Amino acid sequence: MQGLSSIGSQLVDLCSALLLLTCFAIVAQRRLSACVDLFALQSAFLVITAALVAYLTGNQHIYIAAALTGVIKVIIIPRVLKKVIDRLNVKRELVMYINVPAGLLICGGLVMLAFFIAQPIIPFGFLLTRDALAIALAIVLIGLFTMIARQKAVTQLVGFLVLENGLFLGATAATYGMPLIVELGVFFDVLVATLIAGIYTNRLQDAFDSVDTDRLTVLKE
Amino acid sequence: MIAVVVLLVAPLLAGGLSLVVHRSALLHAINLTSMGAIVTAEIVITRTVLSDGSLTALDQLVYLDALSTFILFIIGVVGLACSFYMRPYMDDQVARGVIAPGRLNLFFFLFHMFLLAMVVATIANSVGVQWVAIEATTLATTFLIAFWRRRESLEAGWKYLILCSVGISLALFGVVLLYYSSLHVLSDVSQGLNVTQLLPVADRLNPQVLKLAFIFILVGYGTKVGLVPMHSWLPDAYTEAPAPVVAMLAGVLEVVAAYAILRVRMIVDHAVPFAFAGGLLALLGFASLVTAAFFLLIQHNYKRLFAYSSIEHMGIAMIGFGVGGPLGTFGGLFHLLNHAFAKSMAFFAAGNIHRRFHTVEIGDVQGLAMAQPWTATALMISGLALSALPPFAAFASEVQILTALASQGVPGMGFTGSGGMVTVAVSDHFSRVALASVFLVSAVLSFGGLLYRVTGMVWGTPPEEMVRGEVWTLGHMPILLLAGALVGFSLFLPQPMQQLLEQATAILVIQ
Repeated sequence: MQGLSSIGSQLVDLCSALLLLTCFAIVAQRRLSACVDLFALQSAFLVITAALVAYLTGNQHIYIAAALTGVIKVIIIPRVLKKVIDRLNVKRELVMYINVPAGLLICGGLVMLAFFIAQPIIPFGFLLTRDALAIALAIVLIGLFTMIARQKAVTQLVGFLVLENGLFLGATAATYGMPLIVELGVFFDVLVATLIAGIYTNRLQDAFDSVDTDRLTVLKE
Repeated sequence: MIAVVVLLVAPLLAGGLSLVVHRSALLHAINLTSMGAIVTAEIVITRTVLSDGSLTALDQLVYLDALSTFILFIIGVVGLACSFYMRPYMDDQVARGVIAPGRLNLFFFLFHMFLLAMVVATIANSVGVQWVAIEATTLATTFLIAFWRRRESLEAGWKYLILCSVGISLALFGVVLLYYSSLHVLSDVSQGLNVTQLLPVADRLNPQVLKLAFIFILVGYGTKVGLVPMHSWLPDAYTEAPAPVVAMLAGVLEVVAAYAILRVRMIVDHAVPFAFAGGLLALLGFASLVTAAFFLLIQHNYKRLFAYSSIEHMGIAMIGFGVGGPLGTFGGLFHLLNHAFAKSMAFFAAGNIHRRFHTVEIGDVQGLAMAQPWTATALMISGLALSALPPFAAFASEVQILTALASQGVPGMGFTGSGGMVTVAVSDHFSRVALASVFLVSAVLSFGGLLYRVTGMVWGTPPEEMVRGEVWTLGHMPILLLAGALVGFSLFLPQPMQQLLEQATAILVIQ
């Protein structure tokens, strides 16, 4: 049992680390459709992590959450985003406020910050998935950074989804899943939010001929 | 509990019906019936809570105490007022071709969903379900804010969607942490986020985790409340959204989000010293109050003016909760009530002005007293109430908060250290005086800014071609009622109201 949980713990850590790695890849990526693919990949890692936690702890309801993640975040949402990208014709290079090396450096700093914040509370977690909370916080912070650093409305949306993945990792790995009713509600919200934002980018395109959020400067003090 | 079921079913049913009904009169009738049912249910619930204390219903999913009943009361009154106001307002928009008649039922559908989400957020037992409901309000209102589909409204809607979604995601991280802290204490974790489960064991939860959870939740829900520095979506959204929507956003949504913060704080305060949460609340409160006071002085757009006034008043209420104690908390809750009534009324007036003058520039609006006497009265009353002039109840609540601030100071702000007894006493006294002065100066600044602008709009002569006089409509009735309540509450607080406020205060103040 001891051996199993130690291997399991390392596997969960490995998967969380892969999640974090895809975050860096998204920050470094310039092509929009590749960002969406990377997001789908990240969500796939998330499904594996959740399934691992479910298997190792025997909490059946995490399987449901994992399956939902698979359907919604690996299949539906990337498809919706691809459609939006096709329609908007914004496959070209991404404009960023911060260049890639600097962005990666900042993300590295954010990871350290996340571990620093989470350090005092990590010992209260379960043995199996201790470090996942810090990694989850790091992913949340990187998602937030992506939203700030990128101009296109669609990339802001990808940033938001990365942020949600981080939250989900925190909820599954660090706490073995929240009550099912809450999980379901969160999934519903994420799905609807993505759909709304998808519709919205279309409207922005119609009104501004662009999805550069830089153009959204009609409203001023 | 039948009343609880009515609260949930009425907006759901009304929303569903709105999707299939297309006649405007019928849509309004459904809306009014649903609001009437909700208000009736709330009266029943209030009576039960006052006599029996807190109650749970629907298999522990619903938890109602004096605090949530008080918030429900605000939702009901402002919601009903909005429903009456919408009758002439929306019909006018359809008649002028601003909204295609086919889109009216979409408006009502989203409105009902917004209302349902707020009711769920208020009565949910689980902090997690409450989070889901508050996120749902963001989703429902995004399209309501951008309902006119002009470029500006789309911009405001996008900002709102992104900022609030991010903010609320941070709050979710706080909820995850809260759950994390309960894992080792509760035996049955399937209900680990329920207030009824957390409260009895709150003092055994891990303080480190709770502190972190509270910071995330405060920032997250603070975005929805519109506290500085997370407020930047608010003035834009309030300028662009249709008047009844803003009345709901300002009057109810802010209050519900503030309530969500208070609910978590109730748990946190048991394990963490009171000064931690109180100090943070007061800090954000002061930031909002001071920032809003300056922006109020330079505003030339009346909708933004009221938006900044919202930030100011939420800041004041947060200071009240931050200072705490029976007086500060009571003042904070009472201030929420006054703000909800006065602000929704102000935006009703703003909506009327915009329909007549077709501008949001304060400089272009003159002679309102002649052009629209009823609206001018409403604007004047709400303006005076919002600037907390003595005959209005907001004055009473602000004085309560100021008294609490001056006598107790902000927790955690006093200089404690090795300076000896005398130094400590003097510096503590100094910090209280300094904070009270900041409060007073900001309040006076915003009083001046608001009153100067409002009176500028009311007096003078209207433009030549402007139609004079105003036809009495159903939309004026809620304005009158709210005005009556604002004046009345300062003279005499009805017995049940007083009781409800006192019990809610007792829940929040931990001995």
